[in-house]
Amino acid sequence: MVTIGIPRALLYYQYYPMWLTFFQELGAQVVVSPPTNRATLAEGVSRAVAETCLPVKVFCGHVVSLIGACDYVFVPAIRSMAYKVHNCSKFLGLPDLTRAVVPESPPILEVEIDVDQGKRALYQAIYSLGRRFSCNPLKVKRAAQSAWQAHQDYVARMRSQGLTPLQVLEGQSIRDETRGYHLSLAVIGHPYLVYDSFVNHRLLERLDRGGVKVYTPEMVPQAGLDEAMAQIVGQAYWTYEAEVVGAGGYYLENQVAGVIGVAAFGCGPDSLMFEMVERRAKKLRGCSFMSLMLDEHTAEAGLVTRLEAFLDMIQRRRQVTACG
Amino acid sequence: MKVYLGIDVGSVTTKFALLDERDELVDTLYLRTQGKPIAMVQQGLAEIARRLPPGMEIAGVGTTGSARYLAGVIVGADLVKNEITSHAVAALHILPQVQTVVEIGGQDSKVIIIRQGVVTDFGMNTVCAAGTGSFLDHQALRLGISIEEFGPRALESRTPVRIAGRCTVFAESDMVHKQQMGHRTEDILYGLCQALVRNYLNNVALGKELLPPVVFQGGVAFNQGIVRALEESLETQVVVPPHHEVMGAIGVALLVHEEMSATGEPSRFQGFQVSQIQYHTSSFECKACPNLCEIAQLSLNGKVLARWGGRCDLWERTSTS
Repeated sequence: MVTIGIPRALLYYQYYPMWLTFFQELGAQVVVSPPTNRATLAEGVSRAVAETCLPVKVFCGHVVSLIGACDYVFVPAIRSMAYKVHNCSKFLGLPDLTRAVVPESPPILEVEIDVDQGKRALYQAIYSLGRRFSCNPLKVKRAAQSAWQAHQDYVARMRSQGLTPLQVLEGQSIRDETRGYHLSLAVIGHPYLVYDSFVNHRLLERLDRGGVKVYTPEMVPQAGLDEAMAQIVGQAYWTYEAEVVGAGGYYLENQVAGVIGVAAFGCGPDSLMFEMVERRAKKLRGCSFMSLMLDEHTAEAGLVTRLEAFLDMIQRRRQVTACG
Repeated sequence: MKVYLGIDVGSVTTKFALLDERDELVDTLYLRTQGKPIAMVQQGLAEIARRLPPGMEIAGVGTTGSARYLAGVIVGADLVKNEITSHAVAALHILPQVQTVVEIGGQDSKVIIIRQGVVTDFGMNTVCAAGTGSFLDHQALRLGISIEEFGPRALESRTPVRIAGRCTVFAESDMVHKQQMGHRTEDILYGLCQALVRNYLNNVALGKELLPPVVFQGGVAFNQGIVRALEESLETQVVVPPHHEVMGAIGVALLVHEEMSATGEPSRFQGFQVSQIQYHTSSFECKACPNLCEIAQLSLNGKVLARWGGRCDLWERTSTS
């Protein structure tokens, strides 16, 4: 049986159930690289060019950790997920980039997803990927359909039950609603930053332990994302802009006392998108916003200090409003 | 009489502030950390004890600054608070109508935005120390003048030179170039002040609305050159509080006073004899997982008091049990 390796990085958190279903239906076995650790990051940093962003470095580290564990590594090039909405150039060239920096990687299984090119091109891309496992077009079609269904179920489950990708994918303990939370905050940003606890210095765990109930972009109803997007930027330009700008805009007006944006240092799209959210926060005035910049040098101390100060700010603000 | 002690252990300096029941300042102390936070906390405590007027009893101790947890364990702190909150509280105490707090310390710089007495936003420098006291220290050394002379000399400048302040390395090569061209030292010094302020405003304070009254605190506020450059850039007068260098310590002392009054519990302060104790620090690499964290530990007579540095709480947990 063929084994496909999937790096636990970048788009893993968004599409894993879809990829898993697709490959399993076609008779392949799937392995996922272990969670990011110091060795993964060190490996990625030593290989990628300095200017590459942290998430891509982490991704390369994960590819390295899959060497010897699988027959192929799945590295999709996700160019666009909607008409006229584009992805960052590092995603466009991810298979080539991976080949260049990890030459000893198992053969790379790639697919180019470009929804902007229309359905026909999309079907063709999926078919040519599936054909490597089965020459029966019907089987590939069925696998693709089940994969899409798995994705829809995944998204719906997070949205309806208020779960994070980690809670669904890794069976992490489901929120105990009876536990006393004294504050609600939203954490927004790309899933590969929000859910990689090594990269973000256990941000979600720290908040949860501090009695903060955390909301994330996956829990926002589609209509909420769309409405906030329309209000802040009009039409999306970047793929996954909804996770940042849409979710940020939604939470600034719903459910939470503060929003924390998690961005990668040196990320062009992030710097633009978080700026939009910050401006929106300033305009609305009610809800506090803070962005945390992550890079490979980020000392934990800086993050902890900011987090503590942010929580203090919200709490002291509350006390004053409660008294006045 | 009851007094409250605030200790701010920063990367470059260690500050102490003692407040009485009415939050009036009784004593302050300003020491260089010199990379020895424990020794400096001990030295400071000994000094405070020596100067403590008779009849005064420490009713609460708070710690802040980058070594706040370490200092907290040593003195038996009742409150450990981050430096942003501490600085904001101190500024509000000195000037209740303050709207902007500029704080520039040895290795970090902050901006705190306050509206109607409540913090609404803040910013802090990231990985770069180009806009901080260390930068000035370093450049003063290069120019062969003491940091105390820096401010007064800078004020004598008539035609300041423009220096790239974005990065210490660039600033330095720019500065050397200006020296070689024969510019006066005063003009270079004030150029450096302007570069630091520009760097601060373009990085730390980027996108923030800096409304007056502006309070400028932290060690760098000693430098009149920076004060003037800041006033010129902001086009407003800047308030430098008389004890600007110990504001973090004052803030945490105010907070611990508030906390102790609220809880009514006795202080956990270990007493001044702490300054005589021989603490032992060591570190080791944890091999429980591939992260190989460097764990630092503080011990006394072979008994571990605290551990830090892990990415998980494996060691922090064992230390408290």
